Amino acid sequence: MEGRDGATVEKHRVHLRPATLRDAAPATLHLLPCEISVNRPAPVERFFTPAIRRGPDGLEVSFRGRRLRGEDVMVPSGLVGYVMTMEEKGEVLMGKQEALERDSDCFMEATASFNRFTLWGLEAIPGSDAKMRGALTWPSLAAAIHSQVPED
Amino acid sequence: MKNGLMFIKLANPCSGEGALYLFNMCLQQLFEIKVFKEKHHSWFINQSVQSGGLLHFATPMDPLFLLLHYLIKAGKEGKFQPLDQVVVDDAFPNCILLLKLPELEKLLWHVTEEKEIDKKKYYKYSKEKTLKWLEKKVNQTIAALKTNKVNVGARVQSTAVFSGDQVSSDKEEDYIRYAHGLISEYIPKELSDALSKYLKLPEPSPSLPNPPSKKIKLSDEPVEAKEDYTKFNTKDLKTGKKNSKMTAAQKALAKVDKSGMKSIDAFFGAKNKKKIGKI
Repeated sequence: MEGRDGATVEKHRVHLRPATLRDAAPATLHLLPCEISVNRPAPVERFFTPAIRRGPDGLEVSFRGRRLRGEDVMVPSGLVGYVMTMEEKGEVLMGKQEALERDSDCFMEATASFNRFTLWGLEAIPGSDAKMRGALTWPSLAAAIHSQVPED
Repeated sequence: MKNGLMFIKLANPCSGEGALYLFNMCLQQLFEIKVFKEKHHSWFINQSVQSGGLLHFATPMDPLFLLLHYLIKAGKEGKFQPLDQVVVDDAFPNCILLLKLPELEKLLWHVTEEKEIDKKKYYKYSKEKTLKWLEKKVNQTIAALKTNKVNVGARVQSTAVFSGDQVSSDKEEDYIRYAHGLISEYIPKELSDALSKYLKLPEPSPSLPNPPSKKIKLSDEPVEAKEDYTKFNTKDLKTGKKNSKMTAAQKALAKVDKSGMKSIDAFFGAKNKKKIGKI
């Protein structure tokens, strides 16, 4: 099937390294109710984590002076959470020419795994009607939509 | 890497545009990728910050929806054809992977008439069989909606009216309509309309909002959130009140959350704009 058009077909594929799924170390995740418009390392352990308090009904913390309230949310049963990143192409090691040739091979890898995360809301724990909670029921609905129907 | 997992772009059977799927080469399984996306969210992942707050879901996908897209197209010619002539797509060449899925014949039986000549199978799209198959899909979806206690009442879908009593008396018709809406995300509009008639769903009355559709979703952004967020700032600074039962911010959040309750798909953002995000 991958005869003369093999290269073009390959261009539309991003391979996931299966070994990284097995080896991914557990990560701590927090979903914050605000947009932080950068992607970069942050001293979460220094400022955020030590400020988390466990109250009678859920967790409390403050971020940028605002009170957040949250609780742990489990990944739906039967599923695993993964943090995935696009693999660097390694242009340093390869010559420019070679990098261009290898452009079609895209790889992703799992850098961490999780089976729960902390869902934070501003002033209040996100309620049962929070979008995220709805989204977490999606896998069970999807199973029903996509499972095979019985034959007559 | 012939024996692993890979993300591929295939034609979304509803819109015909590209969408992301995960294909397991070993198990020959197909998964669709959906993204949870809500304004004003970010992740802390270990010792780093990731903007956007996206959460991707990979859930098993019935490949028949994707095959149907091609069968319907070929069906317009009205003749029996071998499958490798039906599933052809210059825009999404990875569609040939669909032909490698196991028990393909059993799947196709649900939506096609077939003929065998010289041990080669020829298929033709059958609308009648497809509607029967879709009705079964609707029924098993309704069962799942009930087990998961998804609120399907028309009340929830209304963004304009938001009165206090949320006591919902979900009628059977609401379930059928909701399930029809979910299935419609996987079939072309034409077939969705035919299915609606087949299920004898009445036309929605003008007072009710339209059934969930892509268009509604796009305009579904919680535009008020930002304003109220700052409103809360000033208020909080002035009064220093922290334990009031319902702060402006909470109200804003409540509004934001509820306005999204249209269909499961409205819980996710629009199409995947980024090819692959984190998580």
